[in-house]
Amino acid sequence: MKRERNQLLIRLLMPLLLVAGASVCTAGQEGGSGFSFGDAAARNEACLSCHGEAAKVKPALVIERAQYGHTTHANIGCPTCHGTVAQSHPPAKTQRADCRECHADVGQEYAASIHAGKTKCAGCHNPHKVKAPVEISGEEINKMCSGCHNGLEMTAKHSEWLPQADLHLRMLPCITCHTGSKDYFISMYIVKGKNGSRFGRQELASYQELKKLAGDKDIVSLLDTNGDNYVSLEELRNFNKDSSHRFLRLQGMMTPEKVTHNFEILTNRRNCTFCHASGSARMQTSYISLPAENGTFKRVPVERGAVLDALYGTPDFYMMGSTKNGTLNILGLAVVCGGLIMPIGHGSLRFLTRKNRTGKEHES
Amino acid sequence: MSEKKMIYLQPIPVRIWHWVNACGIVTLIVSGAQIRFPETLSILGSYRNAIQIHNVAGLTVAISFSLWFFYYKMVKNTLDKLYIPNEDDLKRGILRQLLFYCFWYFLGRPSPFHATPDEKFNPMQKSAYLAVMFVLMPLVGLTGILLMNVTPLRVLILAWGGIKFIVALHFLLASSLLAFLCTHVYLATLGATPLAYFKPMVFGWEEVPEHHDHHERDTAKGSATPSGYRPVRHYPEYRGLHTE
Repeated sequence: MKRERNQLLIRLLMPLLLVAGASVCTAGQEGGSGFSFGDAAARNEACLSCHGEAAKVKPALVIERAQYGHTTHANIGCPTCHGTVAQSHPPAKTQRADCRECHADVGQEYAASIHAGKTKCAGCHNPHKVKAPVEISGEEINKMCSGCHNGLEMTAKHSEWLPQADLHLRMLPCITCHTGSKDYFISMYIVKGKNGSRFGRQELASYQELKKLAGDKDIVSLLDTNGDNYVSLEELRNFNKDSSHRFLRLQGMMTPEKVTHNFEILTNRRNCTFCHASGSARMQTSYISLPAENGTFKRVPVERGAVLDALYGTPDFYMMGSTKNGTLNILGLAVVCGGLIMPIGHGSLRFLTRKNRTGKEHES
Repeated sequence: MSEKKMIYLQPIPVRIWHWVNACGIVTLIVSGAQIRFPETLSILGSYRNAIQIHNVAGLTVAISFSLWFFYYKMVKNTLDKLYIPNEDDLKRGILRQLLFYCFWYFLGRPSPFHATPDEKFNPMQKSAYLAVMFVLMPLVGLTGILLMNVTPLRVLILAWGGIKFIVALHFLLASSLLAFLCTHVYLATLGATPLAYFKPMVFGWEEVPEHHDHHERDTAKGSATPSGYRPVRHYPEYRGLHTE
C-alpha cells in the first residue's frame, strides 16, 4: 500500500522535475538572464564603458557599439573570448581566444587553403565587426582581399588569361571564383555616381542617402512599391525607368551562395563557360542588397529570371552568353530569316522560271 | 546591237578592302554566334578563343572600314556620288530595280542597270549600301568597341542607356548584317552568269555588252562619262519608266 502511494507520488512529481530540468538546460544554453553566466548585454556594457568610448582607449582598442552589437559575438559576450578580466586590467592584458575553439570546421578548411600560413583569422576579419555573408556587400568582401592583394597587380596577373580582367575584378567578389560554391546568385546593389553625378565614379549608395529619397518609408519602398518584400520584374523596370533618381543604378554581382574558406585556384573557373553559358539556374536567382542603418546589408528577393530581361530589368548587368533575352533572340532570328527571303523565295522562282532566261543571259 | 567589252570596274584597293571585310564579317558572325550561344555552338573551340577571334576580326573590320572611308572620301572623293541615291534614283530608280528583281527578271528581261567605275551601284544597291555602310557598320562597330572596353568606356555605356541596351543593339545590328550578307551574296549571283558579278570583285575586270544606240544620247548631252562606260539604264524594255 505504502509502495503504491510512493509510486503515485513519483508519477505526479516526474513531469514537474522534467520541466524544471529543461528550463535549467535552456537557460544554460542561451547563457540567458538570471543564470550563473550573467546577462551578456550587462557584461558587454562593463567593457564597453571604456572600449566603446574613443576618448578612453587607444584607437585600435575602440569597439563600435552599433557594429559590435549586431555581431553574433556580442550575444556570447566579451568574457567568452577574453576570459575573466584581472583587477590589474589595464595595463594587464586580457586573454584572446583562438577562433578555432568555436570555428573548428572553418579552421580546418582554411588550413587546407592556399592562404594557410599567410595570415590568421584577424588578418581578414575583425571579430567585433563580423557580419553574416548575406549582410556584407561584394565590395566589402573585396576590400578584405585588397588588404594584401594589390588591385593593379591582380588585374595585370588576371589579364594574362582573362579577357576584360579589370571588369571581372571590379564586378565580382574574389571568392566567386576562388571558393568552390556550387550555387550562385546575382546580388544587386544600388550605386550612384560620386557627388551625385550621373556618370561619375560609381560607389555604393549609403543608407542615409537612400533614406532621404524614400522619405518616411523604408528604403526598400524605392524598389518594392507594393510592400510585399519582393521585387517583381515590373517593379524593377519601374525603378530603372524612373527619371526622378536617374543617378542611382543597380550594379549586379555574381555571388556564391555558400561562402567557404577553402581559398583555391580553381581550374574550371578558367573555362569561361563556367559562368558564361546560359541555361544555368544560378543566373536566374537574384536579390537586391540594400544597406541597413547598422552598416549591414539586407537582401530582398527579386522575381526569378529578372536579369534575363531585354532592357529595363537590369540595364547595367549583362553576362555574355548567360543573361541573354529570349525575345531578343527570336527578333534576331526573324531579321536573319528576312535576309533569307531573297535566296529562298527569289531563288525558287528563279529556278521555276529559268526557261524564260535561256539564251538571253548574255544579252543582259 | 551589242558587243562584249571589258571594263576595269574594281581597282585593287577596293578588292582587297572588300575581301578583308568579307572574311572579317563572316568570322565576326561565326564567333559572335558562339559568344551569344555558347551552349549550342563551339565552332572556334573555347569561349575565350571565340572572344579573342571576335575582337581581332572586329578591329580588323573597323580599321578596314576607316580605310574605306578615307579612300573613297579623301582619295577618290566619289563617296557621295557612289553611295547617296540621287533624285532620279529615289523617284524611279529604286522602283525600277525592284520591279526588275520581283517581276521582269523572271520574264527574262535584262537588268535596267549596268555598273561602271563611276556608277557602280544600282539605285537599290545604293540605298542598301547607304544603310549598311553609314548606319549598320558604324553602329555595330561603335557598340562593339564599347563592349570590348566596358570598364574604360563605362561613362559612354551609361550615356547610351546601359550595357543591356548596347548588347541588344549590337546583336540586332549583327543579325541585320547577316541578313544583308545573305541577300548580298544571293543578288551577286543574278548577273549574266551566276559568277559574272563575282569575277570583277576578284579580277577587277567585268565583261559588259556595249549599247551604241543609247550612248549617242549621252554624248549629246555632254556627259563626262567615257565612251562605253555609261550605265545601261535605258533599254527599250524600260523606256516607259525612264524620264529623259
